[in-house]
Amino acid sequence: MNRRRHSFAYNLVIFVLAQLVWLAVLLLWIYWYVSNNIIFEQVGEKVAPQIVYDAPSVFPFVGGIVLLTGLSISLVLIFRHLNIQIKLNALYDNFIANVTHELKSPLSSIQLYLETLNSRDVTEEKKKEFYGLMMRDAERLKNLVNSILEIASMDKKKNYKDFEVYKADETIKKIILESAEQFLVNKDSIKFSGDAGCDILLDRNSIKTVFDNLVDNSTKYSISPLEIKVSFKRNTKKMEIEFADNGIGIPHDEIKKIFQKFHRIYEKDIPNVKGTGLGLFVVKEIVKNHKGKITAFSEGKRKGTKFKIELPIYLEKKKSTKENKKDIEK
Amino acid sequence: MSEEKDNQTKILLVEDEENLAHGLEYNLSEEGYKVRVAKDGREALKFFDENGFDLIVLDIMLPYYNGFEIAKHIREKHPQMPILMLTARTQIEDRVKGLELGADDYLTKPFHLKELLLRIKGMLKRKNWYQKVVIEHPIYKFGNNVVNFENFKCTKGKKKFQLTSYEAMIMKYLIENRNKVVTRKELLENVWNMNPEIETRTIDNFIVRLRKHFEDDSSNPKYIVSVRSAGYMFTE
Repeated sequence: MNRRRHSFAYNLVIFVLAQLVWLAVLLLWIYWYVSNNIIFEQVGEKVAPQIVYDAPSVFPFVGGIVLLTGLSISLVLIFRHLNIQIKLNALYDNFIANVTHELKSPLSSIQLYLETLNSRDVTEEKKKEFYGLMMRDAERLKNLVNSILEIASMDKKKNYKDFEVYKADETIKKIILESAEQFLVNKDSIKFSGDAGCDILLDRNSIKTVFDNLVDNSTKYSISPLEIKVSFKRNTKKMEIEFADNGIGIPHDEIKKIFQKFHRIYEKDIPNVKGTGLGLFVVKEIVKNHKGKITAFSEGKRKGTKFKIELPIYLEKKKSTKENKKDIEK
Repeated sequence: MSEEKDNQTKILLVEDEENLAHGLEYNLSEEGYKVRVAKDGREALKFFDENGFDLIVLDIMLPYYNGFEIAKHIREKHPQMPILMLTARTQIEDRVKGLELGADDYLTKPFHLKELLLRIKGMLKRKNWYQKVVIEHPIYKFGNNVVNFENFKCTKGKKKFQLTSYEAMIMKYLIENRNKVVTRKELLENVWNMNPEIETRTIDNFIVRLRKHFEDDSSNPKYIVSVRSAGYMFTE
């Protein structure tokens, strides 16, 4: 995932110093061997020619080099793992705080409405409104629990079982409109264009999760009235879905990190603070599981965000092999 | 709108969770308060600056400015404004930070509606009591100390410092009851309005801080004296 992208200036300095020490030892070792050899060759021959055969053999020399190199490599490995661990720990703490917030907010809302209904004379009309709000909160909790479970199953490298063949344009359009409805996005603010005109193999529920996350992000990170443009395109082997919004965009230095697990952008002028840092990670994993690819683009702050999803086109011939694969994976 | 016309208590509710804000607004309105909802830090500061509120219910995790920053801003402009912090964060540091920045009370999510309403009522009651006693004697002098209970500014000799609202209230309460023993329970009931989360030790901490402010030798207090197994007493 995100192994090479952390800022590890401090650790790096220590690491480089340690490697320099190893290098010095290694050079010393070579120097020692070579100079000893020269002495043996020069002095040994004069004193007693038969000693030449007992001169330092190549074996300990090579052994030493291998040993030193091995140690140096293990140092690299330790350094790398340490860095990943440090980074993960920080992210994880953040994640726990975020999840706590994400769990408690809808929960407190539900509790508040239940207590209100229990202790006050609420008009029928208000009651209906409150039930609706509670259901939305319950939905939010469900989504959160699902994405956490999704992560857990991804970690176990489980695969999706519900792959089916769908008409690409029609199905994706339908899924996006469903997501829009769920996140209270006006259907007219979503514009579709283009036509891929092909079939794709997908697990509908998880692709729904993909667009749930994208639509939710668009609503969360927009200031002006939301506009989403979705376009479909077809290449030789892949279809391309472009999902662009007019939101606050993503700063250049963050764009590579947004798909990392637990990663969240903290900036003053971001209009929303909710989230776990799981959404886009899940999105990427799902797309990957569909043998596809997702990339993000943004011209910078306030210039909107564009996601490009490539999914393999489903061809009739491939059917048998795909299904075989599926069976194997099961 | 005509603020002066009604004497309805006005509450500024700062909460970015729409559903929760809506439910709270409904309940507070039902209780007879006039509620204005700010959905992020920017709005909160804007509304606060343009309107006179009696109490602020403040979430911590907010867009643009967080609750701590807002509390600080409010305290600078309006030291007596009661602030109830409402948050999902449970870490003790957050609570301490909130109280230090001048939140008067702290409630963690999820909370009970009744408790929230009771706390708000208590805070308003305390505010009224405080305002009443402060109008009678806004400035109090003892030793080389001068305490201004209106803006919480104090001087000790040449040293100037600022009290937090709790410190001022405890001080006021002790002074109002000077030469009488004030028990910890009494302080809890009247200053904190019986906050079950606050232990008596908290009061002792406040007393330590007050002594540092006002006593010449805080380990040998002259004004704020301890009365063994009873409480505290203000004497001159």
